[in-house]
Amino acid sequence: MIKRYRSLAISVVVILIGLQVLGSGGFPKSWNIGLSEPINTWQSWIRSNRDQHWMFTFILNPITWTVELGLNVTESFIGWLPWFIPPVVVFAIIARRKKWVMAGFAAFAVVYPGLVGVWQESIETISLMAVSVGICILLGVPIGVWTALNKRVESTLRPVLDAMQTVPATVYLIPIVLLFGIGKVPAAIATVVYALPPMIRLTSLGVQQVPRSAIEAGQMFGATKRQILSRIQLPLAVPSIVAGINQTVMMALGIVVIATLVGAGGLGQEINQTVRQLSPGRGLVVSLAVVAVAFVLDRVSMALISQPGSSTVKTSRKALIGFVAALVLATLIGRIIGWHQFPISFGTSFADPIDTAVNWFRDTFSFITRPFNDFIVRDVLIRAQKLLNSTLSWQMIIFAAMVISYVVAGWKMAVTTAIGVLTIGLTGRWLDAVDTLSQTVVAVILSVLIALPIGVWLGRRPRAEAALSPILDSLQTIPPLIYAIPFVMIFTVGPVPGVVAAVVYAIPPGIRLTSLGIRQVNKESIEAATTFGATDRQVLWGVRIPLAMPSIILAINQMVMMVLAMAIIAGMVGGGGLGYRSIEALTGPNKGLGAEVGVAIVIMATILDRLTQATAKRLQAPAAI
Amino acid sequence: MSVSGDAFNAIEVRNVWKVFGQGSPEPAIALAKAGSTRQDIISSIDQTVAVRDVSFSVARGETFVVMGLSGSGKSTLIRCLSRLIEPTAGEVLLNGEDLLAMNDDQLREVRRGKISMVFQHFGLFPHRKVIDNIAYGLEVQKVDKATRHARATEVLNIVGLDGWADRYPQQLSGGMQQRVGLARALAVDPEILLFDEPFSALDPLIRKEMQDELIRLQKTMQRTIIFITHDFAEALRLGDRIAIMKDGSFDQVGTPEEIVSNPATPYVREFVNDVPRAKVLSVGAVTVPGSAPHGARTVSATSRIETIIPMLLDNDEAIRVVDDNGTEIGVVNRHNVASMLQAEQQ
Repeated sequence: MIKRYRSLAISVVVILIGLQVLGSGGFPKSWNIGLSEPINTWQSWIRSNRDQHWMFTFILNPITWTVELGLNVTESFIGWLPWFIPPVVVFAIIARRKKWVMAGFAAFAVVYPGLVGVWQESIETISLMAVSVGICILLGVPIGVWTALNKRVESTLRPVLDAMQTVPATVYLIPIVLLFGIGKVPAAIATVVYALPPMIRLTSLGVQQVPRSAIEAGQMFGATKRQILSRIQLPLAVPSIVAGINQTVMMALGIVVIATLVGAGGLGQEINQTVRQLSPGRGLVVSLAVVAVAFVLDRVSMALISQPGSSTVKTSRKALIGFVAALVLATLIGRIIGWHQFPISFGTSFADPIDTAVNWFRDTFSFITRPFNDFIVRDVLIRAQKLLNSTLSWQMIIFAAMVISYVVAGWKMAVTTAIGVLTIGLTGRWLDAVDTLSQTVVAVILSVLIALPIGVWLGRRPRAEAALSPILDSLQTIPPLIYAIPFVMIFTVGPVPGVVAAVVYAIPPGIRLTSLGIRQVNKESIEAATTFGATDRQVLWGVRIPLAMPSIILAINQMVMMVLAMAIIAGMVGGGGLGYRSIEALTGPNKGLGAEVGVAIVIMATILDRLTQATAKRLQAPAAI
Repeated sequence: MSVSGDAFNAIEVRNVWKVFGQGSPEPAIALAKAGSTRQDIISSIDQTVAVRDVSFSVARGETFVVMGLSGSGKSTLIRCLSRLIEPTAGEVLLNGEDLLAMNDDQLREVRRGKISMVFQHFGLFPHRKVIDNIAYGLEVQKVDKATRHARATEVLNIVGLDGWADRYPQQLSGGMQQRVGLARALAVDPEILLFDEPFSALDPLIRKEMQDELIRLQKTMQRTIIFITHDFAEALRLGDRIAIMKDGSFDQVGTPEEIVSNPATPYVREFVNDVPRAKVLSVGAVTVPGSAPHGARTVSATSRIETIIPMLLDNDEAIRVVDDNGTEIGVVNRHNVASMLQAEQQ
């Protein structure tokens, strides 16, 4: 047995050396399947047919008009209201659920953008998000119910949903821009495409998770299918649907910045500008406005959907009518007096101290940051790129990737990996992929070094974790680009701010999953080890960590995926690689480039995802029979 | 005459089969009829014969218990009786009408008025208050709110939950939740009640309490009950008749006393072995021929043996045993009971 393994290993090494000697570095440029051509052809076809083809006149243009109408009505209505009406309404909606403190917070969140001088921009963003999330609910709930009730629909839709979530937003913005042009409508449509999957998924999950016995009870009392759906399945799916809305709002928020690339305007544009002006203070202040908008939308949508057992302030119909009448009266008075503009603005006064702090940090710690920057760029990234792009032959790289995949996940995965890597080469984006891969690997290694020890430490200290959890939560709601701004200032433009921002973005879920794994280790196993006289350290390394291993690998998997998702943002701050190419494709004339980037990044994400998942599975203790 | 039998029986089940698996069930049924075991059929054609040619009838007002371990097919069987699972073959007659021949509308009518079910994990609706859970069956029938709430309140009192109407089910203990399940089934005033292991999720003390509650209710309600359980002691307590189910078919059907005193198969004997006979068998089973002296104590042949043990301890004179009409059929003494208990020990 051992002999067989040894001979196998020797032959693998021999093949690797042989491929290295015989093969060539870099992927041959002439081997290109020409993914960009059809897109470019399509682009010119659209340009010449936009005005007369039926697809535009009967389908796309009406969609554009409808969405545009929705956006305009929402935007001008909110803009028309005196400034004090929105906070009052938000307060009333949430306070009705007896959540007074939350209502106060939400009312403050509504006026916050006004206080920092981006009232008008926040109205644009909130309209865009409200319309997009509204469309997501209108489409997502029925589709989710449909997939829950029909297996065939589910199995056809699942890969589509997966793709919708892994393709970087900049890539599918391209066909949307081709079809709908530049402006708020394509931005809204892109937001819908991006934010719809969790709405469908969670609705479907909610309907499927209705206990069988509840449905059987309905059947036994002679309820019709429609009665069972409307009175049992849907109400029981409400918590899951609410979670879906919540996710959708968060996703929509995540795309606000990217959507400005196609002309969404609003807060995203402000943030983009702060990046160009290298003003982290302003960036932070404005992105808090984005967070405020998301917070308000989220809380209001939760409060509007009634959940069983939650208490509400009892209001008579009379009181409700009175409240609405008072609101209308206040609105009219406000309009007449001319209070529709937000009255005060503190402008940049919040931002300046932050700028000062970041500058101070940059100057004081440059003896650390400068060498760190140089080390990562010169000694790690450039070397890794050289290694993968010229030193090692591409034939050998593919074979090595196959061997790793075989060891971790078996033959099927080895074949998938080989085809995948070869395809990346054939798209013509080998060099960019190498660039992105080396940045990803560096960011993942840093994230693992930071997140795992913290996670292990927190896993045994529930109180510390409870204290840290709001910080971890808010790190996840801030638009990723914002992370990059201070790091751009500290490290100058280049790959490092992208890498560091990706690390900051990826570690919260890494810490969460690791500490969860450590905490959920079976108590009896630990007690058993302790009664045998194991020291704390022995319990940690011999019991807790091995048993938490699947969870830890899952944490690494999540961090890999989040770092990859940051590749685009990295591209926006000078990180190069696939991220940069996708922005080039979106904003420049060569739209076909986007297809190449999209294929390359989806392949990379899929391979890395499956490999880490397979590792987690291998490390799991065998299931009980 | 079989017609009069039909009229007497509330439910009559004839040759019901249920085969799970892909493709036509015919080959599996043919194999089973030819004597193949369930395991053989799974390994040869990958189909599971969950219910295998089951026939029985339940008289009006009778409590019929199906007892079997997990995998015996009892849950599938009870679902076949209400067509929550579509039987593969057979007939299920309700008051002489074949349930399996009904279309969806007719079936729905039957479920609305005639049959109700109580579920193992309660099957309550967590998004509805207790009162609206109980009123659900009436709501489906479009009964107006005032009427259905009045009826629900009435049933709530019957099961001893007055004052809990406005809670949500998950705020109640397990035993109380199952009282809600029972009340919900009773609210539509069904002729037939199906119980699918209703008490198995409850802890032993609460389970006993619920069994007593059901016995008490059944004394006044006199419904036709089909009750599924995996607990032999529960079957003995509740059942007028018991069916022991194994691998999809009935091993034995009989009164508790018939089964305990005369188990038909080794499988049934295994359950019976652990049963204290004195609690199940009646005095008639240990009565010997003879006549008691004038002035001797008298007991009925149908009373449980445990009830005469104090009398025998008190005084070892033989006791006269009489039938329902008061006619003497024999005597019983210490020796008879002691040798019955001795046999149980072996």
